[in-house]
Amino acid sequence: MGVRKTAAVWAGKATGTLSRITKRGGGTTLPGDIARAIDPRILTRLTQDLTHGSIVVTGTNGKTTTARLISWLLEGAGHRVVANRAGANLIFGVTTAALNRASTGGRLRADWGVFEIDEASLPKAVEEIKPKATLVMNLFRDQLDRYGELETIAKKIEKALTNLDTDASAILNADDPRVAEIGLNLPRKPTWYGLDDTSVATTTLPHAADARTCPKCGSSLIFSAVYVGHDGVYACPRGDFARPAPDLTATQIELNGFDVLATTIEGNRIEIPLGGLYNVYNVLAAYAAARTIGLEPEYIAQRLRTFKAAFGRQERVEFRGRHLILVLSKNPAGFNETVRTAVDLAHGTNFILGLNDRKADGTDVSWIWDVDFELLKDRAQVVIPAGVRANDLAVRLKYAGVEAEAPQTDPGKALDQLIKTTKEGDVAYVLCTYTAMLDIRAELVRRGWAQPYWET
Amino acid sequence: MTTFTVGWLYPDLMNIYGDRGNIITLLKRAEWHGFEPRLVELGRGASEQMADVDVFFFGGGQDREQALVYNDLLEYKREPLENAVKEGAQVLAVCGGYQLLGHYYQTAEGDRFDGIGLIDVATEAGTKRYIGDVVVQTSIEGLTPDTLVGFENHSGRTFLGKDVKPLGKVLMGKGNNGSDKTEGCVQGGVIGTYLHGSLLPKNPHLADYLIKRALTRRGVADLSPLDDSAELAAHGWILQRAQRQ
Repeated sequence: MGVRKTAAVWAGKATGTLSRITKRGGGTTLPGDIARAIDPRILTRLTQDLTHGSIVVTGTNGKTTTARLISWLLEGAGHRVVANRAGANLIFGVTTAALNRASTGGRLRADWGVFEIDEASLPKAVEEIKPKATLVMNLFRDQLDRYGELETIAKKIEKALTNLDTDASAILNADDPRVAEIGLNLPRKPTWYGLDDTSVATTTLPHAADARTCPKCGSSLIFSAVYVGHDGVYACPRGDFARPAPDLTATQIELNGFDVLATTIEGNRIEIPLGGLYNVYNVLAAYAAARTIGLEPEYIAQRLRTFKAAFGRQERVEFRGRHLILVLSKNPAGFNETVRTAVDLAHGTNFILGLNDRKADGTDVSWIWDVDFELLKDRAQVVIPAGVRANDLAVRLKYAGVEAEAPQTDPGKALDQLIKTTKEGDVAYVLCTYTAMLDIRAELVRRGWAQPYWET
Repeated sequence: MTTFTVGWLYPDLMNIYGDRGNIITLLKRAEWHGFEPRLVELGRGASEQMADVDVFFFGGGQDREQALVYNDLLEYKREPLENAVKEGAQVLAVCGGYQLLGHYYQTAEGDRFDGIGLIDVATEAGTKRYIGDVVVQTSIEGLTPDTLVGFENHSGRTFLGKDVKPLGKVLMGKGNNGSDKTEGCVQGGVIGTYLHGSLLPKNPHLADYLIKRALTRRGVADLSPLDDSAELAAHGWILQRAQRQ
C-alpha cells in the first residue's frame, strides 16, 4: 500500500472530523478535496479495494433516489456498500464518501460502491472509478447558468460511455430521446429500459419539454405516449429515429399519491412506498442495475417493499398534528411532476413552494415559467411562495391564476404561515429547490421537528 | 373588443430560458387591460397570420435548435416580419433571437451565419460566457421605473450599428459585449436584448410599452393602470440585491 494513499486518507478523514466538530455542515466534500490534493489518484486507488466494483448513476432527475434504491437492494443481499448519500455528487463528494469508509490504514473495506454522479462530472468519474455499470436516467433542462447547454452535457456523457471497459454495462432510459441518441451512438448496445403502460401516459408534451427533434434530419419528433417531461414513446415522422425497443419494461402501473406505487417488471409485481410516475422510472432503473449484477427478481420485489426515501425526497414530518411532506423539486421537469403528483394523485391543497437561487439551485430562476403551476389554480387552497426568490414565485403564481399568500423569504415565517393555515390532521406539501429545502429543513431541525440530515 | 395577438416564433425550438414567461405576461396583461388576447405559434414552415400579429416574440435556443431555425427564418419569416414591423407591429427578441435578427453571427472559428438584418447589430462569439443578474437603466422614454432587470447567459458579443439605440445602460452585469456598457437595442418597433429571467414578468412597464405601441394602430390611446405591486416587488428585490453587492 502506498504511503501517499495512506497520507491522503488520513488528511481527508481529519478534515471530515474537524468539519463535523465545528458544525460546518456534514463535511460532505471538503475531505475529498484535501485528499485529492495529496494524492490525485486517491479515488481510483480506493475504489480498486472494492471486492465487487462500482455502479454510477447520472442524469438530471432521479439520481439520488435511484442510487439509494440500488444501495438498499445490495445491502439487503448482505453486501457492504459505500455510497455518496448526502447528494454530494461531484468528484470531491464521491472521494469523500470513499474516504469516510476507508480504514485508518487507508483501505476501503466494502463490496460495492454506488455513486450518484453529476452529469458534467461523469467523464472524470468513469475514468477514475471504472464502474461495472453506468446508468443514464434522463436529460432535462437544469441549471443552465452552471453547465452551458444540454447538448454539451449529452456529448460529455456519450464520450464517457464510449470509453467504458468492455466488461462494463451501460443502462440507458430508452424513453428519453437525448439519452437514446447517446446509446445508439455507442460501440456496444446498452441495456435499454422504458415504461410501457399508456393508461398513465398523456399525448401532449408539457411546456418544460425539450430535446424533441430528430438527431438525423431535425424534424420534430412525434410522441405516441408522454410519461414524464419529454420521456415517452417517440418517432421521427420521416423514420430516421425512434425510441429503441426496451429490454426491460415497467407495465401495469398503479399510482397512489406520494404513498405507494406498483408496477410489473419481468412478470414480477413490485410495490414500493414511493409516489409519482417519475419514481417508476427510478425503480425500473434500479431494477435494471440490480439485474445486471445478478440479483434475483423475487428478491428485488420483496426488498423494495420496505424502502425509505432519501433526504427531501418525499420525507414526512409530523408537527402538532399536521403532516408535512417534503419533496425536492429542482427543475421544470421535476417540479411539474411533484406538482402533478401532489395535486392530481394526492389531492393536496396546502403548499409551501420554495425557490432559492444559490449556486446549488442554479442562479437563473427563469425556469419557473416553464413549470405548469396553472395546475394549482382553483384546486390549491393555501399556496405560500417561499425562499430567496419568493417574490418571483409570487409573480409566477399570479400569472398562473393562483391566489397565493404573501411571499415569505424567511423560512421560519413561511412555516408559521403554513401551520396557521393548515388544520390539525391535514397534509401540507413543501416543494422546494435544493437549498430552499435545506433552509426549511434547518428551521424544522431548529424547532425540534426533524433530525439533521447527515444523521439520517 | 379589440384583439391583441402575440406571435411566438419557434415556440418548440427557441424557448430555452423560460421564454414562455414573456408570452404569458403579454397575454395576461392584455386581458387585464380589457383586450381579447390571442396567440399564434409560428413554427417551422409557418408564415400565415403574421400580418395579424401585434407583438412578435423571438426567444433563445441551443446551438442545435438555432441551426434548425436559420433557413426557415430566411425562407418563411423574413418578409412577413419586415412587412408587419412597417405596419406598426412590435418585436421583442431575446438572446439567440436577438442575434438572428441582426446582420450576422460569427463563430469562434470565423464562420459567418447571416441573420435577417432587421436590426443594425452584429454578433461575434466570445470566449467567456457572461452569466448573472443584470440591471439596466433604460433609454426608452417615459418608462417608470427607468430600470430593467433580468438575467443574462451568453457568449456572443453584440455590437450596435448607427441605426439602433441601446435599450439601456448597464448598471450591473455585462450587456451586449461587456465593453461599451450598452445592453440590447431599439430600432423602431424592434427591441433586442440579452435579458431573460423571464424579462417581461419582472418588467411589467416594458410589457405595457410593447402592448400600447402595438395597439396604437388599432386606435388604442392609453392603457388602464393595473396593480403591479407583485411584479415591482420582484423587480425591486433584484435592485436591492444589486445595491448590496
